Amino acid sequence: MRGAGPDEAKEAGEIARLLSYVVILLASFGLFFAATGIPTSRFETLGAGAFPQIVFAAIAFVAVIAIIDALRKIPGQAYGRFAAETGGWVRRRYLVFIILGALALYILAIPIIGFSIASFVFVFAVQVILMPRRTKSVVIALIIALIFSLGLNWLFAEVFTVFLPRGVF
Amino acid sequence: MEDFLIGAAQIFTLATLAYMLAGSVAGILAAAIPGFTVTMAIVLTLPLTFAMEPLQGIAVMLSVYVGGYTGGLISAALLGIPGTPSSVATTFDAFPMARNGEPGRALSIGVWASFFGTVISTIVLIFAAPPLALFAVRLGPWEYFSLIVFALTIVGSLVGSSVIRGMLAGLVGLAISTVGTDPMLGRPRFDFGIEMLQTGFPFLVVLIGIFAISQLVAEVEDADKVRSGNPLVTGAIDFQTWKVMKEVLMRPVNLVRSSIIGVLIGALPGAGGSIANLVAYDQAKRASKHSENFGKGETDGIVASEAGNSATAGGGLIPLIGLGIPGSAVDAILMASLMVHGISVGPRLILDNGDLVYGMFIAMAVASLMMLAVSVFSMRLFLRVTEVPKWLIVPVVMTCCVVGTFALNNRVTDLYLLIFIGIAGYTMRALGYSLAPLVLGVILGPIAETNLRRALMTDSDLSLFVTRPISLIFLTAALLSIAWAIRSHLKNRNTAERSSDASTS
Repeated sequence: MRGAGPDEAKEAGEIARLLSYVVILLASFGLFFAATGIPTSRFETLGAGAFPQIVFAAIAFVAVIAIIDALRKIPGQAYGRFAAETGGWVRRRYLVFIILGALALYILAIPIIGFSIASFVFVFAVQVILMPRRTKSVVIALIIALIFSLGLNWLFAEVFTVFLPRGVF
Repeated sequence: MEDFLIGAAQIFTLATLAYMLAGSVAGILAAAIPGFTVTMAIVLTLPLTFAMEPLQGIAVMLSVYVGGYTGGLISAALLGIPGTPSSVATTFDAFPMARNGEPGRALSIGVWASFFGTVISTIVLIFAAPPLALFAVRLGPWEYFSLIVFALTIVGSLVGSSVIRGMLAGLVGLAISTVGTDPMLGRPRFDFGIEMLQTGFPFLVVLIGIFAISQLVAEVEDADKVRSGNPLVTGAIDFQTWKVMKEVLMRPVNLVRSSIIGVLIGALPGAGGSIANLVAYDQAKRASKHSENFGKGETDGIVASEAGNSATAGGGLIPLIGLGIPGSAVDAILMASLMVHGISVGPRLILDNGDLVYGMFIAMAVASLMMLAVSVFSMRLFLRVTEVPKWLIVPVVMTCCVVGTFALNNRVTDLYLLIFIGIAGYTMRALGYSLAPLVLGVILGPIAETNLRRALMTDSDLSLFVTRPISLIFLTAALLSIAWAIRSHLKNRNTAERSSDASTS
C-alpha cells in the first residue's frame, strides 16, 4: 500500500464494505417485496415466492448486523478520507480495470466480428499491455494469440463439433 | 462386485487412460503456474468432457484434480510461492530444503507424500461412502433441508476472514439461485422481463465467472510485479526416487495421521485442501520430537502438508457421493459435470449408478499412480512451466473461459452474464468476501428449496424440522458452527486489541 498509511487504507476498506452491506440490504428489501408478488399455488403450503422471501429476509438480517458491526469499527474522521483513499486504490490497480474493460469489449465484439478475429485481437492486445515490451516477447505474444484464436476455433469445430460464433462476415 | 468390474472395465480402456494421462499432465502443469488454481484448471476441463462418456469425463477431471494438488508443490518448493492455496504450508519446509541445495529431494518427498495421501484417502472413501449413502437414502426432505442449512453455515463460517461476510456470500448465492424458473412448478421469478434472466444463472457460468475471471483479474493487481519477469532458481535436480520413497514410508505415523486429517477435513463441507494442508502441518509439528527443525527444511513438514492436502481429494468425495452435497468448489464442478450428463447426484447415486461410483474410486487410484509416474519421469520438464509469465497466462486463460462458457449452451447471452459475474466476483473478492460459500449457495439453493417445499407439502407442520432427530442434529450443528465461529472471531479480536494496546503503551 503506497501513498497511504495501512490504517487509513484499512478504514477505507471498512467503509467500502459498509457500502456493500447497505447495497445488499437495499437490494434484499426490494427483492423481498418483489417476491411477495409471485403468485402462490393452491397445491402447496409454500408458493414459489416463499423460499426467496426467506432468503432475502435472512440476508437483510445479516446485513443489518454487518452494518452495525462496521459502524462501530469505523472512526468518524475516516469518512472524509474515503474518496481520496478510493481514488488511490483505483489508481494502484489500473491494470485490473483495463483488463476488465478489454474483456467486456472482447465479449461484445464476438457476435459481431466472430470468435477468431476478436480473440486474436484480445489475446495479443492484453499480452502487449501486460508484458515487459521486448521484440522476443512480442513475437511470442503473436504466436500465442494465433494459437488461441484460430487454433481454438479449429479445435472446437473439428474435434468437439462446437461451432464458435463466426460473426457477421 | 459386478459394479466394480463394470466400472473398472470402463476406466481401463485405452481412450480413457490416454485422456486421464493428459488430464494428469494438464493438472500438474496448470497448478505449477503461479496464479492458476486447481479449481480453475477443472473449470476449464469441464467443457472438454461434455463429448465424453460420463465416467470418462469424471475420470479426466479427477486426474486433473489429483495432478493439480501435486503441481502446486512445484512452485511451492522451488519458488516459495504456493502454486495453489492448498500448498501454503508446503512452502514452509519444501522451499528451505530446496534452498539448501536439495530441490530434487524436496520435490520427490512431496510427490511421494501426495501419492500415499491420495491412496489412503481413496481407501477410506471406498469404505465410508456406501454405508453413508445407505443411511442417507432414509433421510426425508426435512433432514435434507437441515443438512443443507448446516453445510452452508459451516462453509460460511469456515472459509475466509469474516464470518458475517461468509454468511452473506452464502445467502447471496442462495438468492442468485432463485432467479429464473422455480424448481417445483416452473414459475418465472425475478426475470424483470429480461430474456437473459429467464433461464436463471447457469451455475457453471457463475463458477467460471467467480473462480476464474475474478482470480485472473486479481493476478494483475500489482502492475510492477506483472511487468518484471522473475527468473526461477534452478539447481541440480536429483530425484532419488526409491531412496525418498523409503524415507517417506519410514514415517508411517505422520503419513497416516496427515492423510486422515486430510480426509476428515475434506469430508467437512467448505474446508478443502488449503485448511488440511495447514492443520496437518501443524499437527506434525506438535507431534515431532524435533519441532525446532520445522520451517528449516524438515522432511516431516513436507510429508504432512502434502499428504494432508492430497487426502482431501478423496475426503471431499465422501459427502458428494454419499449425500449429494458438494463440500468444495471442485466437488461442485464434478457434480455439475455429472448433472450435465443427466445423472442425478444424491444418495441414490451409488445404488442406481454403482458402476459409475466404483469407476470414480478406481479412477482416483489410477490418477494418483499416473501423477506419480508423470512426476518421476518428467519433473525436470515441468520445472520450466513455473517460468511462464503472467502476461501470457491471463489473456489466454480468459479466452479459454469465454470458449468454455459459450460451449456449455451455445448461447452468446451466457457470455454477457460471464462478464457481469466476473466484475461482481472481483468486487466481492476485493471487499474481502469469500467466494466459495457463494458458489455453494448457488448450487445448493434449488436443492434446499425443493426439499423445504416438499417437506411442507407432505406435512404442513413446521415443528417436524426440530422433532425429527436427525434434522434436529443438523440444525443444532449449524447453530453450533455459527456460535463457534463468532466465539473464535471475538477471541481473535480481543487478542488483536490487546497486542495493539501493548504496542502503543
